[in-house]
Amino acid sequence: MANIAISRIKREFKEVIKSEEIAKSMIKVELVNDNYSQLRGEISGPPDTPYEGGHFVLDIKIPETYPFNPPKVRFLTRIWHPNISSVTGAICLDILKDQWAAAMTLRTVLLSLQALMAAAEPDDPQDAVVARQYKERPDMFRNTATHWTNKYASGPKAVPEFDEKVCKLRDMGFEEHTARSALSSCEWSLEKATETLFG
Amino acid sequence: MAQHGRSAAPASPCLAMDSDGDLQYDEDSADDDMVYDNDSGNESSGDEVDFDEHRPGPSTAHEVELAAEDAPFQVLSVQEIVDFMVVEINEVNEVAQLPRTTIRILLNHFNWDKEKLLERLYDTDQEQLFLEAHVVSPHITGTASQAPRVNSRVGAVPTEECEICLTVRPSAEMSGLACGHRFCAACWCEYLTTKVMDDGVGQTISCAAHGCDILVDDETVLRLVSEPRVLARYQHLITNSFVECNRYLCWCPTPDCGYALKVPNPDCRPVTCKCGHKFCFACREAWHDPVRCHLIKRWLKKCDDDSETFNWISANTKECPKCSVTIEKDGGCNHMVCKNQSCRADFCWVCLGSWEPHGSSWYSCNRYDEDEARAARDAQEKSRAVLNRYLFYCNRYMNHMQSLKFENKLYASVKEKMEEMQQHNMSWIEVQFLKKAVDILCSCRVTLMYTYVFAYYLRKNNQSAIFEVREPEGPGAMHLRCSQSIWSGTSLRRTWSTSNRKVQDKYRYCEGRRKALLEHVHEGYERDWWVYND
Repeated sequence: MANIAISRIKREFKEVIKSEEIAKSMIKVELVNDNYSQLRGEISGPPDTPYEGGHFVLDIKIPETYPFNPPKVRFLTRIWHPNISSVTGAICLDILKDQWAAAMTLRTVLLSLQALMAAAEPDDPQDAVVARQYKERPDMFRNTATHWTNKYASGPKAVPEFDEKVCKLRDMGFEEHTARSALSSCEWSLEKATETLFG
Repeated sequence: MAQHGRSAAPASPCLAMDSDGDLQYDEDSADDDMVYDNDSGNESSGDEVDFDEHRPGPSTAHEVELAAEDAPFQVLSVQEIVDFMVVEINEVNEVAQLPRTTIRILLNHFNWDKEKLLERLYDTDQEQLFLEAHVVSPHITGTASQAPRVNSRVGAVPTEECEICLTVRPSAEMSGLACGHRFCAACWCEYLTTKVMDDGVGQTISCAAHGCDILVDDETVLRLVSEPRVLARYQHLITNSFVECNRYLCWCPTPDCGYALKVPNPDCRPVTCKCGHKFCFACREAWHDPVRCHLIKRWLKKCDDDSETFNWISANTKECPKCSVTIEKDGGCNHMVCKNQSCRADFCWVCLGSWEPHGSSWYSCNRYDEDEARAARDAQEKSRAVLNRYLFYCNRYMNHMQSLKFENKLYASVKEKMEEMQQHNMSWIEVQFLKKAVDILCSCRVTLMYTYVFAYYLRKNNQSAIFEVREPEGPGAMHLRCSQSIWSGTSLRRTWSTSNRKVQDKYRYCEGRRKALLEHVHEGYERDWWVYND
């Protein structure tokens, strides 16, 4: 890796470690290997959102040309959010693409992601299915997101109704996550979900 | 979002730099005799014989071309493009009295439309204009000294922290634009290098600070970047965007040809580059009279349809609905912003409609499902019938195209003949009629080739029937006769003078027919005779 990238990351580590957010255990960054090209981030779900209390792990790849090009960030923890793919964890956020500025840091990226979790942009969706639910059935969206947070990000709030439905499909022989995705995309209608799964 | 298929961009003409690596913004370097008219610009026309340089095809027989083709145009080398750019900047500068680098950015903002810029400069709020064009108003002098966070203890060298590498540096190493954001020289250099080399951005590099959109000017780039390879690319990007944004300029589409063409009116018209390539200024395809640009584009696309490349392109890319540049989507959401400098359209990837209506009801792409799908189904039903019709015209078109490629051989053998004739006591000037005959043969072939495209798109009506009748007796017959007469002319060695006259009569007749046919089509355009199939 280029010198400038390594020295930047080293300094940024100090910054993240120093920052107030880390004290409140809101964000965290760790090294994955020794050459600073891959990092593991973690953000806590922002309060008063369906993600509250969950811990979301991020995969951060630092390009050779960092900080002149943005880091490649993706959710490793599954999440139900209009701007984040429920399948791959890919994120649609302007600062990770053309709005990236060299003066931004990992700390600002993680805080921006936290802000994105608190305020979705359903008009620029990454995941069309989630975005439709967000717009048309806001209550169901909140419940689904809470349910996913509970299952994948160790969030505190369970949604018993959804748990039951997933259980039913699992008993039919479907893998748990496949069942959950199908139900989430089919407005939690058991009938429709089974149809798509068999389809 | 990646951008592909910009055939208009030349390979890499680098700017000539003077020893200081300066962009040469002085008036003196502007060349006065850049104007070439059709004749002097193309050396393979006229009476010289130089078969090696000669291309079979449309770049010949100037004196018999239609009147529209005589309008003047210029062929500009890269240096002349820069000079032209300087002239444009200086012209504005005389009136506006702003720094030249600022004027360049402003002109670029208006796609190099001087009148529009001057109008805005004097008609409306100037500050608003500077804001839109992302430059700091030159009238405000205070902003540059927006008190950088200088850490100055008495006696110590003043230092600042660079926000990019997060190191503390002596203030002397720090610099910035008029917006007041300051970074160290190493980071600036690296930032500009990444922008220029990786992102291919020249005109629109903004300040490295987050959320600051003030544009970097040339002087700053030249001051901070020293690597020649980066500078060369930067200057290439600037020239390229100047040519691409300017309506009156276009690159010659020949691979590795660094010339640009300049016309007084950006209409559909033929231009001939110094490299010999004759093409249509409006659509950049080889000159295609009598077919109109949109049809020739459709035709060429259709002809390429069978290739694997097309399959890949159609499976993986879409065209920008505004500027038609081919786009491959490599991530992100469906909200697309075209990267083409002069386009920047906002649109939806799914329906290719404008993004605006999606803003509130983001997935109202039902339009796509309804119209597009129905159109696709209908097209499939019709396609069988259409296919046969297409193959009819396509075969003829392709045959002529193939023959055109073989016309090189004809040139070679005619050249041989001409030499032979010169040994039989004929002067050089006397034998030129043979070459002329081949030239006309080629131009007839080209016209004939394009008439098939024209006929393919014509909808059946009275006028098209007349055209179809005239077509074969026009260039078709003339072509045949012309080639026959050349051969009969060249084989009758003992009666040179009579065969000479015979060949000349034939090719004059053929050329006359060709012109008549083109005039017929153009008359049709003027009187709205032609109706197209969609």
